[in-house]
Amino acid sequence: MKLGTLALVGVVAAFAISGAAARTNTTLTVYAAASLTDAFPKIAPGAKFSFAGSNALATQIRKGAPADVFASANMTLPKGLNKDSFCSKPVVFTRNTLVVIVPKSNPANIRNVYDLRKPGVKIVIAASGVPVGTYTLQVLKNMNLTAPVLANVVSKETDVREVLAKIALGEGDAGFVYSTDAKTVPGKVKTIKIPAWAQPKVQYGICTVTASTNKAAAAAFIKKVLSKKGQKIMRSYGFLPRVKPKPKKR
Amino acid sequence: MQRRRLRGGLLGVLFFGACAVAFAFLALPVIAIFTQVAPGRLVRLLGNPIVTDALVVSFKTTLAAQVLILVFGTPAAYLIASRRFPGRTVLVTLVELPLVLPPAVAGLGLLVTFGRFGLLGSTLEALGLSVSFTQTAVVLAIAFVASPLYIRTAIAAFQAVDPDLVAASRTLGAGSTRTFFRVVLPLALNGLAAGEALALARSLGEFGATIMFAGSLQGITQTLPLAIYQAFAINFDVALAMGALLVAISAVLLFSLRLILSWQPSRRTSPSLFAPLR
Repeated sequence: MKLGTLALVGVVAAFAISGAAARTNTTLTVYAAASLTDAFPKIAPGAKFSFAGSNALATQIRKGAPADVFASANMTLPKGLNKDSFCSKPVVFTRNTLVVIVPKSNPANIRNVYDLRKPGVKIVIAASGVPVGTYTLQVLKNMNLTAPVLANVVSKETDVREVLAKIALGEGDAGFVYSTDAKTVPGKVKTIKIPAWAQPKVQYGICTVTASTNKAAAAAFIKKVLSKKGQKIMRSYGFLPRVKPKPKKR
Repeated sequence: MQRRRLRGGLLGVLFFGACAVAFAFLALPVIAIFTQVAPGRLVRLLGNPIVTDALVVSFKTTLAAQVLILVFGTPAAYLIASRRFPGRTVLVTLVELPLVLPPAVAGLGLLVTFGRFGLLGSTLEALGLSVSFTQTAVVLAIAFVASPLYIRTAIAAFQAVDPDLVAASRTLGAGSTRTFFRVVLPLALNGLAAGEALALARSLGEFGATIMFAGSLQGITQTLPLAIYQAFAINFDVALAMGALLVAISAVLLFSLRLILSWQPSRRTSPSLFAPLR
């Protein structure tokens, strides 16, 4: 019988612990695009972050994930969530550009974007649907490279940091990532610029999740990201100001 | 007496309650996969090219991995089961280690071994073999995580073979090769089949090591679990359909495992009038 009592105490304790864990959700939970992995914790060190492909995060929010804020690497996903009342009206909080990265040793000897057409180059991109994957397809279309480059694609990853990892490891010969991602692994990859005329419009959108029980903190976080200080932190990681600066009049 | 019955009753209720919780917890998520989408639509979604391509990749790579597991795993298991040598325990632990390793660790290990800049990477490259992002990489990932299940079960199966029968075969003039194929293998076959069924089920479900080591490309390296992961964020219903398919396949595998285990071959090779009754 002692064993039974012990088991009962154990079960009660387990429920108490898990209950306590569930109640402490006063900390802010931010679901953010993988490309924000380094910058966002600097803006709100106390918050909990879930970094992944924006599309995976959007799906999780639609399935009731306990997010307070959603920060996406495009405007399409948060606008879609807003349309279906899953989040507030999104605002642009930063912008980015795409680059091609190659391992430092550059095994396929890639000098420019057009070299990616060479047969046998192992190219890693993100899956279409992941924001950076969609942007990659836009760049290829703009440069008229779609068919030859897609023929060289060896893997479609689920977020931008997985593309980065595969190239930093040297497994792939070239990959498409944001310029901010390339900066996080200095010395491991070389960056090849994509011409400005071929760049897609990369705008990051942020919104408060409708089901959040922490709306005040969520709004405060968004305000912080948009503030001068927040924008300065974003820029220090290579992100662009949220509004394109107007060309100076002469 | 009265008190005793009361306690027994209370204990019974507690056990019954715990049992109900356990069953519901384990069964509900599996059942729920089939409840979100109507069965007819679920079947139609299986015609999606993402699903058919993933099914073909899963089938091919799993099959290739099973061949590797059986061809290399069976002799390895037999040697471990039949010999006593220094370091045997260490060897067994090493063989079983991938069983308990997180798949992500398996993926890392495979990358730093077979990857382009891994331990064997430059050697393979010199031979003109590049493993990363190919179906070979998927097969290696599957074999790495699934073979310990087979080898472990096979060792137990070989150890359960009655040494008297092996000795009898040898004294009757059969060579060690003949004894292995005519006596040991048939007697251990049951256990080997059970181990293989487990390894097969684990192979079909392999995810972590594959996505890290082989990447994910539809029709090339994207197995069913990888396709589920990608479809989850793009087309949830297709992901559910593939989930349902894997549940069905796994259920069939587990059921056949039960059948294999319940089938008892005769322990005696021939009825003998003079054999001592045990």
